[in-house]
Amino acid sequence: MSPSRDDQLSPPERDALAGEYVLGLLDGAEYAAAEGRLDTDRDFAASVERWRRHFFALDATAMPVTPSAELWSGIESGIAGLAQPAARTAPTLPGAAGSSRFADWWSSLFIWRGAAFAGALATILLAVGLVGALDRAKRQPLMVAVLLTEGNAAAAVVNTFADGRVEMLPLQSIDVPAGKALEIWTLWDRAVGPRSVGLIDRARSTPLRLDNLPLGNGQLFEITLEPASGSPTGRPTGPIIAKGTTSQRL
Amino acid sequence: MASDATQPRYTGEIETALLACAAGDKNALRRIYEAESPRMLGVAQRLLKRRALAEEAVQDAFVLIFRHAGRFDPERGAGLTWIYAILRNRSLSILRDEKRTETSDTPIAEETASEEDDPETVMAKLSDASALRACLEMLTPQRRGLVLLAFVQGLTHGEIAGRLKLPLGTVKSWIRRSLLSLKECLG
Repeated sequence: MSPSRDDQLSPPERDALAGEYVLGLLDGAEYAAAEGRLDTDRDFAASVERWRRHFFALDATAMPVTPSAELWSGIESGIAGLAQPAARTAPTLPGAAGSSRFADWWSSLFIWRGAAFAGALATILLAVGLVGALDRAKRQPLMVAVLLTEGNAAAAVVNTFADGRVEMLPLQSIDVPAGKALEIWTLWDRAVGPRSVGLIDRARSTPLRLDNLPLGNGQLFEITLEPASGSPTGRPTGPIIAKGTTSQRL
Repeated sequence: MASDATQPRYTGEIETALLACAAGDKNALRRIYEAESPRMLGVAQRLLKRRALAEEAVQDAFVLIFRHAGRFDPERGAGLTWIYAILRNRSLSILRDEKRTETSDTPIAEETASEEDDPETVMAKLSDASALRACLEMLTPQRRGLVLLAFVQGLTHGEIAGRLKLPLGTVKSWIRRSLLSLKECLG
């Protein structure tokens, strides 16, 4: 079935769709379309809010569970860098401002992490570049993953090469709503969870940054729809567009 | 706009805390956490069954709440529904993701839900005062069961069909019709 292009829903259709959305019954494409509609259709957004308010009575019946002590510290590290430090509102002496800014900079873990990461990345890029230059002959992929949509259509292919390069080539165009992007993930160990290896604004060929992540046979790659700046949590949050696992070339 | 005057504007504690979160105030997030995290964990656990996954969902939800607090608009909805919508979205993506990657031994959907989460048990726990309860009571137990399984346990159309041994099309159209009856009753 082709997705309905009809933007005008009758009130019952709108309320039923809003209800299904709030119940969590919409799948990949329908879900993404409903998310888009939330921003553009005020009546739909109001209907969603009404359903949420009514259904909240059900969430209110959930048995409270005391969170573990680690939960809050996990949240704190998740928002580190976003929260305003309390000290920032305290007045600082004009003369001290310059040196304290330097001290802030000097003691900024973020900057040193960034520097260390950039260094590591440069090393990897140089190594990959060197291997690539020495060995242009090895053009054939070592492993291939065909990423399938929920309807089992091939949406993209991921190739991995002997020199460490990994690339993704789209096989069909993918609808990306405004303000959204396609994020590519790999999962090699459930305990570690999926890692982001690429973010593209539309379906196009792209190198994937696996850096020093493991890469093996049967490893999962998937594409999800995320906000334009990438998943805010560092894990997939949007609907899965396509997924597949790597297989060794004969 | 004239129509905005009829819209309620939400100005409770959660709304105030969300506005402070948008300005980067971590203590405001902590206040929401103190007030809501046990119940949020209960909701996530009903959906995800496993404690570790439920904690992951609540943790991700709070990070998202803080990051996106700037998008919360008290003119358009209540803070509480906004927060629980984020939690439910996050829990459902973990739930569906977990099912799709097929690497765990038992798919979550097949793990036995606690009797506490049974549609009729949940129904009995619904506040007498809630409009939802009165309207759900107008549906047959089987039809309201479908709606409750979707919302409370996060089951898909297909899983509900499998569990209740009903054809998929029947499940879809019954849920749709139940929603329309509910909508009529809730006004």
